[in-house]
Amino acid sequence: GVFTHLEMLEARAHEAAVQQEEKEQEEEKLAGLKARVEELRLRRDELQAKVDLQQKGQLGKEGVVSDAAQPSARAVLEWKIKSVKAMLQVFYLTGNVSRFACVLPTAAFWGLLDVQRTGMPGWSGGWGHCTLRAASPTLMDSLPSFAFQKLSLSLQEHFSDQIEGTLQRNSLCNLLVFNYNVSSKSETFPFKVRLLYGDLSCSLPTEVVISCTPDAPASLAETAAAHSDLFRRVALHKAFRSFGRAEESGD
Amino acid sequence: MDNSICQVYEDEIQSLEEEIKLLAEKYEDGQQESIFFSDEEILMSIKTFQKEFQGPSKRHESPSDLKAELESVEKDLSFLMKFTGIQFTSHSKKTLEKTRNRTMQKHRLKGNCHSLSFQLEFQLLETQNKECVSAVITDLSIIMDSGEDSDMRKFVSSIEEHGNLLTFFRSLSSYAEWYEHRRCTFLHFK
Repeated sequence: GVFTHLEMLEARAHEAAVQQEEKEQEEEKLAGLKARVEELRLRRDELQAKVDLQQKGQLGKEGVVSDAAQPSARAVLEWKIKSVKAMLQVFYLTGNVSRFACVLPTAAFWGLLDVQRTGMPGWSGGWGHCTLRAASPTLMDSLPSFAFQKLSLSLQEHFSDQIEGTLQRNSLCNLLVFNYNVSSKSETFPFKVRLLYGDLSCSLPTEVVISCTPDAPASLAETAAAHSDLFRRVALHKAFRSFGRAEESGD
Repeated sequence: MDNSICQVYEDEIQSLEEEIKLLAEKYEDGQQESIFFSDEEILMSIKTFQKEFQGPSKRHESPSDLKAELESVEKDLSFLMKFTGIQFTSHSKKTLEKTRNRTMQKHRLKGNCHSLSFQLEFQLLETQNKECVSAVITDLSIIMDSGEDSDMRKFVSSIEEHGNLLTFFRSLSSYAEWYEHRRCTFLHFK
């Protein structure tokens, strides 16, 4: 009788409360979305106005800096770098670069190009690798040696304390041989590494052989194996950077 | 139900976000093109920047980093121009469309290959799927200064039809080289 009636009233009240809460949540969500839409509309309108002004040619050099009337030296340099990179991109766009797999540890700009069905290079993201494509026989011949020259100079420049002597390469420019130092228990030992880039479409070597001197301690064999694996998996300059870091952390 | 209103808002949010991306890119492109700094200004900026910059580097890129980056890209560019014999004298691009997966740009290029000048206009559509980006060229139009030559005209029309810029530049490169050889040879006999 009374209790059932009370229970029923309680249940109804509870349901009403739940419904009320749901309704409030929905309204909150809608309000949030509406606010976001308005925020985006405002931003869009601001940008549109800037673009329109630009089209009319009223935004000159002032547009470069946030406040000062004169663009900062940094802004000028960044502009120049951006325009040279844009020009380089045009060379890629128009297919004027050679297809040769190599590691160019220079500007991260190079990225990884993927040649598509149309024969046009496209971007595949990635950093520090370069797969290039020939536009002319002369370019194809010259690029491997140029690329290797650049690679060896770069490596020697950045990792001079690790790399011994000069890097050797063969006439096909797909074999790289050099020595580098590995330290173990405050002694340094030379490793000789031989990298064969058998697959021209891949920027990683197909064959890696590391050899140490006969008087090297046995523990170094493990290091050699680890390094060999690393050379197979990552770009050369990245491998060296990680060696450097490992040494710094007292490995 | 309110779900449909939510959906409407969400759709509008997505389209606004894409519009904003497109406008931002248009603005960036416009900014980049509307200003110009001469080589002297660039050199002066390098010097000024190095002087301004004192103490430990607070930002990622110090003046020497920027300077090194500039030298590196300029070296790459001059290498490419030297080996292809191609020099691009002006380049402008307009972003027509930009969504999450598609970018459509209109490019205008002027340049010369050895002594032959050319002007190009084309549309580039870049589509992103999974890890790779594909680029397709459409609406290609080429104007050659030596356009009166009928062989050249035939070559140009065929390229325009197929949108194959690679073939265009490859052939132009060797044609221009031989053109140069011929010109020198004829001069020699004068």
